[in-house]
Amino acid sequence: MHYTPLPYLDPGSGSFIIQIAIAALLGLGVALRASWSSIKKYFGMKPKSEDEDTDSDNVQD
Amino acid sequence: MSRTEQLSASFRDPSGFLFTDNGILYRQINRAYSNDYARLMDSGLYAKLVKASLLIPHVESDQLPAESESAFKVIQPERVPFISYPYEWSFSQLKDAALATLSIQKRALKLDMSLKDASAYNIQFVRGKAMLIDTLSFEIYKEGEPWVAYKQFCQHFLAPLALMAYRDVRLCQLLRVYIDGVPLDLASGLLPASTKFNFGLLTHIHIHAGAQKRYSDKVVAPRKGGMSKQALTGLIESLEATVKKLTWKPAGTEWGDYYENTNYTDSAFEHKKQLVREWSIEKKPALVWDLGGNTGVFSREAASLGAFTVSFDIDPAAVEQNYRTVKNQKEQNILSLVLDLTNPSPAIGWDNNERDSFGARGPVDMALALAVIHHLAISNNVPLPQLANFFAAHCKWLVIEFVPKSDSQVQKLLTSREDIFPDYTREGFEAAFSSCFTIHKSELVRDSERALYLMEVK
Repeated sequence: MHYTPLPYLDPGSGSFIIQIAIAALLGLGVALRASWSSIKKYFGMKPKSEDEDTDSDNVQD
Repeated sequence: MSRTEQLSASFRDPSGFLFTDNGILYRQINRAYSNDYARLMDSGLYAKLVKASLLIPHVESDQLPAESESAFKVIQPERVPFISYPYEWSFSQLKDAALATLSIQKRALKLDMSLKDASAYNIQFVRGKAMLIDTLSFEIYKEGEPWVAYKQFCQHFLAPLALMAYRDVRLCQLLRVYIDGVPLDLASGLLPASTKFNFGLLTHIHIHAGAQKRYSDKVVAPRKGGMSKQALTGLIESLEATVKKLTWKPAGTEWGDYYENTNYTDSAFEHKKQLVREWSIEKKPALVWDLGGNTGVFSREAASLGAFTVSFDIDPAAVEQNYRTVKNQKEQNILSLVLDLTNPSPAIGWDNNERDSFGARGPVDMALALAVIHHLAISNNVPLPQLANFFAAHCKWLVIEFVPKSDSQVQKLLTSREDIFPDYTREGFEAAFSSCFTIHKSELVRDSERALYLMEVK
């Protein structure tokens, strides 16, 4: 099944497939981290801030 | 009469294109892109990215579109003072451009948008920072879809950075040959085998290259919902961690420590700085090119007076040091770039018209050519009249240093070769340059045999 609209760049078949495989693995990490921070929160520990919108983390500073 | 012209590099994306009208740069947004543009503006993403200096600001304009049939809106983006290309960047510049792209993608995903391309050419250095200049790079994120720009990101950023970090910094020049980034099979073959023990490089380059080969002749239409947002976030974070770990320390290249190895006395150095400063004050250039600028010491004389100064040098180590200074000092009007004056960046891409040559990005108000003429005239055998023509084509005012044969640096160049340069004298230099320039000033640099000239193109 195709997506609509199709991308204007060819994302490459191999790139698509490998990306999904790698990301499935990496997504687990994100999920684990999220659960870990909610466990910490439950026990009253302050989770590490991941807010990208605070500008202070602009990578180039 | 209005003169409207579409920019030659702006043709690939059907969302819109850049055009100029009477010298002012505009971007036409097509109707096909109207929903994505509305989301970019209404979600607050545009404001957040502009505030973080990650996206070029624009204003909506009343300018008539260049192609009214498909037009939705016309915007006027802030003009970038000098367009540079990834094959002209030092290691940290390419790395910061990569990290800026990923930071934008992370912020976009939080507001349900995603980058639909990740081209290094969409990033420019503005006020010292890597910034996305293509306002139309965003699309509304659809749950379950993979990142359409993943391949492009790996080719434009990750592969050249890994090659520079693990093989040789000069491999950045591969980007000059491969306009859509370094092919991953090439990168995988050139990288040391040890990089297969680096999880990020193993997956995003080596395995990725293998998958490209395996599926090269197969049509794949992944199932909808094939990739969760969490998985996509994991992918972006993995790319970010991989890029952050890549490092390169400028050492061992030609001139990174040039100023520690000159035949200059402190007083000659200061005198040279003083002359550049005085002449810049007098001529008030808005745009300066420092050709052979090394780590940018003299560029800073012009820049401190307000000129936007592009500091070119052949040595990636010097350019890297210059860029690090720009970052540390938060300098906003110096751009350091890698350029070989004996073979400057050509026009490349479709119809040789997508990326401008070095010369097409000029001429500028003032060029500095300090301690560089002997390298061009003697090491590269360029006759003085040709050198004069070259400089005259690129600037209005020229500050140029003549380094005589008696100078120890020139003597060094002549030790291993025949002296076939009978005209390489102050008189010969003045005669050659007088054909295209009016020499306004000439001063002997204190405590040296060198002379500095201020010339105006005829």
